[in-house]
Amino acid sequence: MSHDATISVRRGFHEDSSAIVIGGLLVALALGIGLGSRPADEAGSRKAFPKGWPNPLAATIEKPQTWDTSPAQALVDKKGKPVGMPILLGMAWIVGVIAGGTLLRGRSLAAVLPGAAALALLGGLAYLLAAQKVVNYYNLEYPLWALLVGLLIGNTVGTSRWLEPAVGGEFLIKTGLVVFGAEVLFSRLLELGLPGLLTSWVVTPIVLAATYWLGVYRLGIPSKSLCMVISADLSVCGVSAAIATAAACKAKKEELSLAIGLSLAFTVAMMVAMPPFIRWAGIDPIVGGAWLGGTIDATGAVVAAGEMLGRELDDKRPAEVAATVKMIQNSMIGIIAFAVAVYWAGWVERSSAGPQASLAAEAWERFPKFILGFIAASVVCSFLFTRSPESGLWVDGATLGFTSRLRGWLFCVGFVCMGLQTNFRQLAPYLASGRPLVLYIVGQCLNLALSLAMASLTFGWLFRKAVEP
Amino acid sequence: MNRVVTSPTGRLAVATAILLVVWLVILPWVGRRPAIDRHVRAMEKGGINPAAMFYTELERLPLRPPWIEQQLVLWLERGAE
Repeated sequence: MSHDATISVRRGFHEDSSAIVIGGLLVALALGIGLGSRPADEAGSRKAFPKGWPNPLAATIEKPQTWDTSPAQALVDKKGKPVGMPILLGMAWIVGVIAGGTLLRGRSLAAVLPGAAALALLGGLAYLLAAQKVVNYYNLEYPLWALLVGLLIGNTVGTSRWLEPAVGGEFLIKTGLVVFGAEVLFSRLLELGLPGLLTSWVVTPIVLAATYWLGVYRLGIPSKSLCMVISADLSVCGVSAAIATAAACKAKKEELSLAIGLSLAFTVAMMVAMPPFIRWAGIDPIVGGAWLGGTIDATGAVVAAGEMLGRELDDKRPAEVAATVKMIQNSMIGIIAFAVAVYWAGWVERSSAGPQASLAAEAWERFPKFILGFIAASVVCSFLFTRSPESGLWVDGATLGFTSRLRGWLFCVGFVCMGLQTNFRQLAPYLASGRPLVLYIVGQCLNLALSLAMASLTFGWLFRKAVEP
Repeated sequence: MNRVVTSPTGRLAVATAILLVVWLVILPWVGRRPAIDRHVRAMEKGGINPAAMFYTELERLPLRPPWIEQQLVLWLERGAE
C-alpha cells in the first residue's frame, strides 16, 4: 500500500460520502428484507395491505406514542401494544448510524459511543415532548422540541467533552435525507392529474423564486441561504423542505432553526383559521381543500384543516383534495433540493475573483454530494414503485414500516445536535432585525393569493367536471 | 437563590423544572378545555396525525380518491379520442 493510500484510509470518507453509503445501505436493507417477506396471498392487493407489505424491520423501530397526562402512556400504542422495546431499538439504530459514520470517516469508535447513546436518549426525550396530546394535535413537530432540548443543555451546562465527539448534526441530517429519498416518489406527482399538477407545480416555483428575490433584493437580508430556506419552507412543504434545501444551500444551523420556528408558528395559526375563513367566505369546499393543500406548510396540518373544513359539510372530498395536493408538493422536494444545490454551487457561491475554472467544474467542486444519494434513493424507489402493484406495495412496506421512522429519529437527533451547537446569542441578530418575519409573512400572502387563484381556475372551473361526483 | 440561577447546573435545573410543570401540569389542563378537547377528539376519531411532517407519516395514506379516479380516466379517454 502506498503512503498516499495509507493516509487516505486513515482520513476516511468525506461526511457526504459516509452519509450516502450508510443511508443507501439502510434503504437497501429495508427493501431486501421487505422482498424476503413477500406475502404468499394477495401480494398485489392495496385493499389487503393498505400500507404495503409488512416489513419485519418495523418491529425494530418506533417512537413515543401520544400521551395525555402521564409520559408512561407514550410506551403503549393505540391498540394497547407495548412499544418500549421498539423505542429502545430505535435509539440503538441511531447509535449504530453514528458508529458507522465514525468508522467510515476514520475516527475512533470508542470515543463516540457514550455520546451517541446520550444523544439517542435526548432524541427520545424530544420525541416524548412532541408526543404530548395538545402539542401533537396542534402540529408542534418534534424538530422544535429537539432544538429546544439541545439549546437548553448547550446554553446551560454546555456540551461535555465525552459528548462532543458524537455531536454531528450535519452528518445525521444528511444521512436522514438520503434515507428520506426513498419516500419521495416522483410517480406521486401525477396522483391528481392535470388539476393537481397545475395547482402545485405552477404556484410553488413562482412563490419560491419571488420570495427569495424579495428577501435578497428588496428586504436586503444579508444571508441568501436564509432567504432560500424560508422561501422553500413556505412554498413547498414546511419543515421537511426546509431541511432539504438548508442542506442543499449549506445554510447555517441558526437559519434553519429560525425558518422552522416561523413555519410551525404560522402553520398552527393557518390550520385553525383557514377552514372557518373558507366557510365564512363561501369558497367552494373542493377549491378550499386545494387551497389548504397548496398553502399550509406542514402535511399533517393540511389533512387536519381539510378534515375540519369537510366535517361541518359532511364531505370527505376537501380533506382528500388537500392531502393529495400536499402529497404532490411533498414529491417536489427532490427536484427543488437538486435545483437549489445546482444553483448554489454554480451561481451563488461562484467566486468572481481568481482564476476561473469552467462553470461545471466549479459547480461540481461545491455541489453537496449527498444530494446525489438522496436523488438516487428517490429515483430507484420511484422506479420500483411504478413497476407493478406488487412492487408498489413492496416499496410502501419498506418506507412506511422502516425508513420513514428511521429518518424521523435521524432528523430528531440531528436537531438535538444542532441545538447543542447553537448559542442563543447567535440567534439574536436574526430575531432583532424582524426582516425574516416580514419575508415569511409577505411570501405566505403571495402564496395564499396565487394558490387560491390557481385552485379556483383548476378545481373550480377548468376541470370542474372531473371533481364533481 | 441568585447563585443557583446563575450557575450552569442551576440554570439547567430551573429550565427542567419549567419543562416539567408545562408538560405535566399546564398542557394536560389546556387539553381539558372544551374547544381543545373537541379538536383532539375529532382528530383522534378521524385517525389524523396533524404532526406528520411528510405524507408517509399520515395514519391514512393519501391515495387518488375514487371519485376523481373515475373522472380522470374518462377525461383521459376523451382526450385520446
